[in-house]
Amino acid sequence: MLTEQSAYSNRWRRVTPFAKGWFSLCGMVAAFAAASPRSALLVALILCAVTILGAGVPPLRYLRVAAPAFLFLLASGLSLALSLDFGGTAGGASLHLATAELPRLAQICCRSLACLTALLFLTLTTPLADIISLMRRCRVPDTLLDLMTLCYRTLFVLSETVHDTITAQSARLGYAGLRLSLRSLGGLVANLTVHVWQRSQALHLAALARNNDGALSFLETVYPHSPRTISIAAVAGCLMIALSVKLP
Amino acid sequence: MTDVLLKLEQVSYRYPDGTNALSGCSLVIRQGKRTVVLGANGAGKTTMFLHLNGILRPSAGQVFYGGVPLDYSRSGIRELRSRIGLVFQNPDSQLFSASVREDVSFGPMNLGLEKRIVGERVAAALHAVRMTECADKPVHNLSYGQKKRVCIAGVLAMQPGLIVLDEPMSGLDAAMQRELLAVLERLHADGMTVVIATHDLDFAYEWADDAIVLQKGKLLAQGTAAVLLQQTEVQAELGASPVIADIAASLALTGMAVRDKGYLPRSRRELLAAISAFHRQESDR
Repeated sequence: MLTEQSAYSNRWRRVTPFAKGWFSLCGMVAAFAAASPRSALLVALILCAVTILGAGVPPLRYLRVAAPAFLFLLASGLSLALSLDFGGTAGGASLHLATAELPRLAQICCRSLACLTALLFLTLTTPLADIISLMRRCRVPDTLLDLMTLCYRTLFVLSETVHDTITAQSARLGYAGLRLSLRSLGGLVANLTVHVWQRSQALHLAALARNNDGALSFLETVYPHSPRTISIAAVAGCLMIALSVKLP
Repeated sequence: MTDVLLKLEQVSYRYPDGTNALSGCSLVIRQGKRTVVLGANGAGKTTMFLHLNGILRPSAGQVFYGGVPLDYSRSGIRELRSRIGLVFQNPDSQLFSASVREDVSFGPMNLGLEKRIVGERVAAALHAVRMTECADKPVHNLSYGQKKRVCIAGVLAMQPGLIVLDEPMSGLDAAMQRELLAVLERLHADGMTVVIATHDLDFAYEWADDAIVLQKGKLLAQGTAAVLLQQTEVQAELGASPVIADIAASLALTGMAVRDKGYLPRSRRELLAAISAFHRQESDR
C-alpha cells in the first residue's frame, strides 16, 4: 500500500484534486504532443521532478511504486525491438534487432513513460476518495463510481481477511508442503468467496439502515484556495504542453 | 405507559432458510431510557433490532412507534430510519467510504439535506464521538475502537431520537470501552434513547435503566435492570450474574448496611463507598 501511504502523506494532500487532475491530464496531452522522444522524455522528467520535489514523495518510494510499470515498459520495448528468427540459414535460432523501427520505438516508449509519470503524479499525490470525487464532478456514471468506492473499501477489509486466514492456516502447518499449500490455497479461496458474499449482505443492510435507496452519495470535501491552485496548475500544465511541442 | 417509544406485539420472523428467529415476541422500549437487550447467542437480538427500523418486516405481529403501527411505505420507512439509528456489531461491515468525513455524510446525504446542513451535522457528529481530528484520515488506518466511533457518528449525523447498538463493546479494550461509554452517556444526557445489546452483565447492571431478556426468539423478562438481573430465572438463562450484585447481596446478609441509598450498589464505586462508609461507622462506635 505504498501508493496509499504516499497519497495521504504528501505535501500536496490538501491541494484540490481538480488542480492535480488537470496537471496530470496536461502531462498526458504533452506526452502525445511531444515532437520527439527527447521532448517526451523531458515531460517525463518534469512530471517525476514535480512529484518528488514539489509534492515531496520520497524518491525511493517513487521508484518502488514505479518499478513494476517501468519493468513492464522495458519488457514491452525489448519485445518490439528484438525478434527471434527460427528459419535462419544455419538452421538455428537467431536474434534480430529491428533497426529501422528504432526511432518509432523510442517515440512510443518515451511517450508511454511520460504518460506513466503523469498517472503516477496523480495517484501518488491524491487519495482515491479524492479522485472518485473528481470523477463525480466530471460526470462519470454513478454506478461506476459506486463500484469503485465499494471495491476500494473492500480491498482493505479483504486483504486483512486474507492475511488472517493465511496466518491461521500457517499456524496449523497449512503451507508445509506443495500438496498442503495447494489445499490451503483452495480453502482460502472458498473461505473468501463466502466472506465476500456475507460482507455484501452486511453492507446492504447497513446501507438500508442509513436510509440509502440508490446511488451512494457522500459530501464532497472543500479544498482551500481552490481557484488560485487551479490557475497555477492550468498555467503549469499548458506550459508543459507548449514546451513538449516546441522542443525539437 | 405513556413514555413507550417502540413496542413489539407478538412479532414473529422466519428467515428464508427456515430459521424462526422471533416467535411471538412482545416488548417495549421507553423514551429517554437506557435499555439493555440480553440473551444467549441466537436469542433473536439482532433480528429484533432489524425490525425496529423496518429493515425486516414481521411475518406475524406488529411493531409500533409512538403508539402507531409502522408505515412500511417508502416515505414511512425513510421517516422511521431517520428517527431510529442502528449501529451494527462489525464496523468493517458498515463503513462504505475510505474517508471518515465522507462516510459520516452518507446518512444525512441520503436524507436529501442541503450540503451546508450535511457539513454541519457531520462536524457535530464527529465532535460528539471525539473524532474531529481523524475526519480526513482513511478509514482503514483507524483502530477498531475508532472505527466503531465513526459508525456511531454516521448514525448520529442523521439526528435520530433513538440509537440502537448491537454489542458495541465487543472487541474493545478497557480504555476504549470507557471512551465509548462516555460517548453514550453524553448522548443519553442530551435526551437520546439508547438501546444496547450486550453479553456483559456487569455493564448492564451498572449502566441500564431497563432490561429486556430474550430467549429463543421470545421475551423471557422485561423490567428495571437492577431488579431483573437479580432474578434467579434470568441469571439461569444468561448463565451468569452481576458480580457487584452478588457481593453486595452477600455483604447485606452479613448485616452490612449496603442499601443506604435504598438499593444495592450497582457499580464498583458505589460498592466500595458503601463498604468504606460502613467501616467508618464501625470505627466511630
